[in-house]
Amino acid sequence: MSKLMNRISNWVTSTPFWKAVFRHGYEDTARNRSLTTFSNVLYHLHPVKTRRESIKIRYTWCMGGTSLLLFVILTVTGVLLMFYYVPDTRRAYQDIKDIMTVVSFGSTFRNVHRLAAHGMVFTVWVHMTRVFLTGAYKPPREFNWIVGVLLLVLTLLLSWTGYLLPWDQLALWAITVGTKMAAATPFFGVEGPFGAELGMRPDNDVKFMLLGGTEVGQNALLRFYVLHCVVLPLFVVVFLAVHFWRVRKDGFSGPL
Amino acid sequence: MPEKSFEVFPRSPKKTYGLMELVKGTAPGVEKEPEDTTFTWPNLFYNEFLMALAVTALLLFLSLYVQAPLEEEASRDTTPNPMKAPWYFLGLQELLVFFDPWIAGVALPVLIMIGLMLIPFLDINPKGRGSYTFSERKFAVTNYSFGMALWVVLIIIGVWFRGLDWNWYWLWENGHVHKPVAAGLGDLPVMFSRNLGISDFAGKAISDLLMLAYFAIGLIIPAWFFKGFFKRLGVVRYITTMVLFLIMVGIPIKIALRLVFSIKYAIITPWFKI
Amino acid sequence: MNHDGDEHITRRDFFSLVGWGGVMATAGGSAFSCYKFYFPNVLYESQKVFKIGKPSDYPMGLSEKWKKERQIWVVRNERGIYAMISICRHLGCTPNWFQDEQKFKCPCHGSIYDIAGNVLGGPAPKLLWRTAVTIDPVDGQMVVDFNHRQDPDPVSTENGLRVEEASREVEPFFLKG
Repeated sequence: MSKLMNRISNWVTSTPFWKAVFRHGYEDTARNRSLTTFSNVLYHLHPVKTRRESIKIRYTWCMGGTSLLLFVILTVTGVLLMFYYVPDTRRAYQDIKDIMTVVSFGSTFRNVHRLAAHGMVFTVWVHMTRVFLTGAYKPPREFNWIVGVLLLVLTLLLSWTGYLLPWDQLALWAITVGTKMAAATPFFGVEGPFGAELGMRPDNDVKFMLLGGTEVGQNALLRFYVLHCVVLPLFVVVFLAVHFWRVRKDGFSGPL
Repeated sequence: MPEKSFEVFPRSPKKTYGLMELVKGTAPGVEKEPEDTTFTWPNLFYNEFLMALAVTALLLFLSLYVQAPLEEEASRDTTPNPMKAPWYFLGLQELLVFFDPWIAGVALPVLIMIGLMLIPFLDINPKGRGSYTFSERKFAVTNYSFGMALWVVLIIIGVWFRGLDWNWYWLWENGHVHKPVAAGLGDLPVMFSRNLGISDFAGKAISDLLMLAYFAIGLIIPAWFFKGFFKRLGVVRYITTMVLFLIMVGIPIKIALRLVFSIKYAIITPWFKI
Repeated sequence: MNHDGDEHITRRDFFSLVGWGGVMATAGGSAFSCYKFYFPNVLYESQKVFKIGKPSDYPMGLSEKWKKERQIWVVRNERGIYAMISICRHLGCTPNWFQDEQKFKCPCHGSIYDIAGNVLGGPAPKLLWRTAVTIDPVDGQMVVDFNHRQDPDPVSTENGLRVEEASREVEPFFLKG
């Protein structure tokens, strides 16, 4: 049996198609190992050689990579959920109910989406703590730390906007409270310090802009949907690209 | 031809290379230990792949047992009691009990984010790069740990100790019985003027002075006792660091004032209250 | 203006100024239109001026009849009727009414109000809003204007934030009788 498997695998890996896709095979040479990393669009996020100390789990806790993985999982499950979800106040709640009860594996995907979202908030915080404790934000990596903080903010905003979409009680009130805070912004919110003095009204302040209305309604649901599914993920991808690029280009902050 | 050139290292006809020139400069490799590197493929990818497998497996496993909640359909006439945000926002929600919305919901989060972004520019200690160390950067690590601990404690309070009407419920208490209304809260200036028998204005002046004194003492004392710290940072960095630090420490102080002395506001102005 | 030859604006300076000015103006205009685009001009929200029946429909005490549909409570006391908005002044949750304690308690952050809207405890910075209530001369029904709100500056006392009740019971926020 294993002989047959070997023959099949040898034949598959020797076909021109296989060789066109996987260029380097498993040949165990230094040159081949370098090429595997260097000539692959995803792998070459990493350098060909890494310092032995910096890839130990007890050093990195694997938290940055796990955050990225969770973001990918969130994107995939999120796109799947979008196929059954309509951001309409009359339908949204029923759509989520359908996803949870009658759509094949719908509840699994929603559960994974939610758990991964919680997990991502956690791993991003821990990643930040790890970077702080190892002093990895020190020169020349100051800017990358700032990008990291922005990614943390984006992660929290993604969680917050995703909250409204099921259109259940938790959704409505979490967003009511959150946007009421926006109304309390100094200068730009009607209830904030100096807001009323600057001519802010319930129908022209920053809360109105967020919600697209004076109350959490259809406009708010649509806005949060677009922010959650398009705008914020795009920002995350752009900042992630900068984040990784900077890790490579700024060099290591570790002991030289 | 003018002068005869002088060769430091005579060329050897047997070699295809030779020393061309001597220049002065520092070599980057001097005093540098050889880097202990290893091939990324497969050593690092192996770790990452295993971690990805573990995380995915954990997610799928948990998703079988932890159902994502779906409450009743949104309705404006009743707010669930208690209305809890997800755990990562409970720190914020807890702050909202002790501070006005513009502070807890806008000013403090913005300050936290700005403070985090400023860390690399405020912490100019060159030590402790790329390794875990406490002894070489005591202030930085203590500071960060204090902030994180505060945040975690607030989250824990929000998750486990808040019940009906956002009252404090111990884990062993019946969470379905409403608690009696707590005593009313007072303002610090009013308390001063009432208990010390002085005018309202004097009471206000005292509490404003107390606030000023907190920041003034907080700025002067460390500069006085830790002259080296002050000199290293310089005026701008020192003041930014200490103001952020004092605001952070001020949060638990305000919480304590509320819990122990039932004080609602310490500073009252016509536009905002703190 | 300086007409000396040295500081003359050259042809190149002029075009550079016009060019960059145009770029900045376009960028500014685009930013402004995006900003303006975010503010809807027409809203399809629930009505903000509505009728709630005749004063004689409301017995002594608090009525939660319109809370679900219109987010108001209607209160009758010895002197007359007023309507209060069921939105907590802290962060906008809906407080619950406890008949036995005669208090509103907010489930979000624990603000407590009395039946007049005074703050008895918790983080609420101001008193519950009261809305304008008038009588429609044609059918005698009460008309509530949800956006016309009474929002007095409270005085801080030992028992929370208060406002003299007499100063709140004025037209158009109060119906006598």
